[in-house]
Amino acid sequence: MNPKAAVVVYPGTNCDRDTYYALELAGFTPEYVDWHGDVKGYDLVVLPGGFSYGDYLRAGAVAAREPVSKSVRVYAERGGLVLGICNGFQVLMEMGLLPGGLLENTSGTFICKWVDLEITDTDNPFLSRFKQGGKIKLPIAHAFGRYVKVGDPNVALRYVEDVNGSDEKIAGILSEGKNIFGLMPHPERAMEKLLGWDYGKNVFLSILDWIRGGNRVV
Amino acid sequence: MPQTYHFMIDIQYKGNVRDPRGETIRKVLVGEYNLPVTSLRIGKSVNIEVEADSPEEAEAIVRKACEELLVNPVVEQYEVRMI
Amino acid sequence: MSFKYYDELKKRLGREPTPVEIEAFTVMWSEHCGYSHTKKYIKMLPKAENAIQGNAGVLPIDDKWAVVFKIESHNHPSAVEPYNGAATGVGGIIRDILAMGARPHASLDSLHMGDVTEGIIRGISDYGNSIGVPTVGGELRISEFYKHNPLVNAMAVGIVERDKVIPSKASYTGQVIVLFGGATGRDGIHGASFASEDLEGEKATKLSIQVGDPFMEKQLIEAFLKMKEEGLIEGAQDLGAGGVLSATSELASAGWLGAVVYLDRVPLRESDMEPWEILISESQERMAVLTSPEKAERIMEIARYYLLETAVLGEIIQEPVYRAVYKDEVIMEVPISVITNPPLEDVYPYTPGEIPEFKHIPFEKVEPSNVYFQYDYMVGTDTVLPPGFGPAIMRIKGSEYGYSVVTHSRGDLGYQDAYWGTYIATLEAVRKTLAVGAEPLGITDCINYGDPDENPEGLSAMMHGLKDACEFAGVPVVSGNASLYNTTGGKPIPPTMVIGLVGKVKLAEIVKPHEGDVYVIGWDRFSSAYERVIWNVIRKLHSCGCFIMAPSHMESLQGYQRTFSEYGYTLHIDKISAAPAHSKIIVVCNDNRCIENVDSKIPVVKVGVVEKA
Repeated sequence: MNPKAAVVVYPGTNCDRDTYYALELAGFTPEYVDWHGDVKGYDLVVLPGGFSYGDYLRAGAVAAREPVSKSVRVYAERGGLVLGICNGFQVLMEMGLLPGGLLENTSGTFICKWVDLEITDTDNPFLSRFKQGGKIKLPIAHAFGRYVKVGDPNVALRYVEDVNGSDEKIAGILSEGKNIFGLMPHPERAMEKLLGWDYGKNVFLSILDWIRGGNRVV
Repeated sequence: MPQTYHFMIDIQYKGNVRDPRGETIRKVLVGEYNLPVTSLRIGKSVNIEVEADSPEEAEAIVRKACEELLVNPVVEQYEVRMI
Repeated sequence: MSFKYYDELKKRLGREPTPVEIEAFTVMWSEHCGYSHTKKYIKMLPKAENAIQGNAGVLPIDDKWAVVFKIESHNHPSAVEPYNGAATGVGGIIRDILAMGARPHASLDSLHMGDVTEGIIRGISDYGNSIGVPTVGGELRISEFYKHNPLVNAMAVGIVERDKVIPSKASYTGQVIVLFGGATGRDGIHGASFASEDLEGEKATKLSIQVGDPFMEKQLIEAFLKMKEEGLIEGAQDLGAGGVLSATSELASAGWLGAVVYLDRVPLRESDMEPWEILISESQERMAVLTSPEKAERIMEIARYYLLETAVLGEIIQEPVYRAVYKDEVIMEVPISVITNPPLEDVYPYTPGEIPEFKHIPFEKVEPSNVYFQYDYMVGTDTVLPPGFGPAIMRIKGSEYGYSVVTHSRGDLGYQDAYWGTYIATLEAVRKTLAVGAEPLGITDCINYGDPDENPEGLSAMMHGLKDACEFAGVPVVSGNASLYNTTGGKPIPPTMVIGLVGKVKLAEIVKPHEGDVYVIGWDRFSSAYERVIWNVIRKLHSCGCFIMAPSHMESLQGYQRTFSEYGYTLHIDKISAAPAHSKIIVVCNDNRCIENVDSKIPVVKVGVVEKA
């Protein structure tokens, strides 16, 4: 049986369908869980990208306080795997599950393009299929992606060149227990060569390996 | 001798212009937090310092900055406050 | 107040119109709603023979899927308030596509302005990015001609299962009309009639600005598609120009029925609105759907789940009248056909001349990627060929086919000759479409013009140019929009016909950018005969595996250099000479035999190379 993945949908989330599709391609059985829902019992929880509540207050701020987010916190604190992509990363940060802040890009504009990235941590459930120091390409699409460092985060992904003004070119970080991964680039958009590059697939396959390796937590 | 003057500019949508951001956040506060919020409008504030020979001149410079760039007079209004 | 068709209205009603009726008909008989100047021209254009369910705008892609697409102008609002004008332009056209039952799948724009107005680009970017519809292409033309009258045309493409298209008409007496979306305010009252006036007119200062709410739009899209999935929607029309009045009268009239609407039921944002203001308010992000009385409650439940306002607005009646009621009082009652059959201006006779010797009127150079990198062109994970090469290519998940889509115009030529400017723009759009390996399916056109009362000939020239070009290319026109009175102080914009062209692509046959020698093939002059030859060359070279680009302006190719570098290639290319109107293409080819097989009568010049970076 394929592992079950929850795709959390807040009002204004817009990468939920892309994430669902990517999870299916990778071999998961995805299900949508809305903002009133509960993520208990899933093998993986993904917070997809988008503009939850229009990002009208701060990116991710309202979503972080929704009922489903409370269940994500419980899930994560019990060691469950949580992947936050783009707006999902912003939500995790607003929830305090990952350290730091995400502010407006230095360009002052939204940026959508493929960027080069370096893998800086492979000893975790999300990136085990990559080589330490390996270079990959993933798309970014955000206006608030400038990572501001607080403390000493577990950096898993760095931009090769500065794209948005992030401290130390940080693109993605892991929680202390490495069960929570937040990143601004979109792995779910990089699943098929038809659309460019398919490095994103290895993110989902790494998670699959980890779960299949008997590492079920919740 | 020119001096540095410090102002806060408060920029808001004009009263008759819709503020969807404020409306959405108000709805959330009422619906999910049960707070009796009857109106909420989100604007911008600009913290600005200028050099001038007098407070009057300084304020005139700030107002010029508002009118020429900082404020969109079609939909926005502003207030200037020296701090 | 002045109302051009006052006497006509009085005649049709057989009595003096009431003040409410004058307000209502000023909107409904404006060009924006009624197409009074262009409808007779539109009737001349070639129609699609393969349209689904007799619905002109729905064209098949494969056995399961169809595409719907439309372009619309938002010029006047963008002149007054660039950010919100552009944002609400995107929102409006997306709802248009949605109302047909399609999921919005791609959006494009065509922008003309005096200098790069960041507000317009940001308006499109903020709105489009937020609602999760990729902005996959467009054009940005900077010229003094558009300094006071920027053109903001937005196009949307949707995909829909062939058997699930939603009609935009009523089908039986007793059908109820449910309204949902944002609350109604005074936004854009008389926006439609304002869109038909000189920008220095009195209304320009009085217009209440429409503010876009992309979050609401996103909720509206998902709510509507959920209702559709549950089989609750029997007919639909978005609320755009003319608001409640336009949407509900069109639904009823298209089904040869009447309607009654209860304006006091409309959820309001401003509590002190007059009934006539509620009737014609152009508040954004609203939709009207037809359903049975039993299903109405479920529709409203879904709307509320998505945090939208909703109400049963009225119902369909047998009697062919439009009746607007406010607190038990009838505020307007007229025969419905009077609303939906505006007076029509006649076709102005036009005979085209020879192709003139076009002068080169340059647009200011803009690096296109500075604009499209601000648009999320990838969300939806269907963008196969991204912006930067010409048409974008979109796939449809689960289908072996996809579509190409491009917007294109030639205001620089239109300024010199309205007929040939339109004609050449249309054939260039076809050339671009063929270049990415697609076969043209259909066109949506946006007419951007000055004052047709002052100069009816130019409008006629454009429409004839479009008709003749479409007939030459064998491409139908499936939808369109008109923006007239783009004048400031009596000075018009150049006649600017924007062509939105959708083509059908077999995914397995797509050629992606690659290494190879770069050739320019074709003539430094435009002619229909050359064009026909070049189209055949394109088809052959594409099936030979060549990557082809078909820019209308060859003097600045930096944009391509940037796009190739995104793909990991370097494009080295000599300067290319080209007349303002030409029949030429740029070809990247890694197999000499493909080029050797090109007919020796056709000029071929090697101009550069594409290498791995």
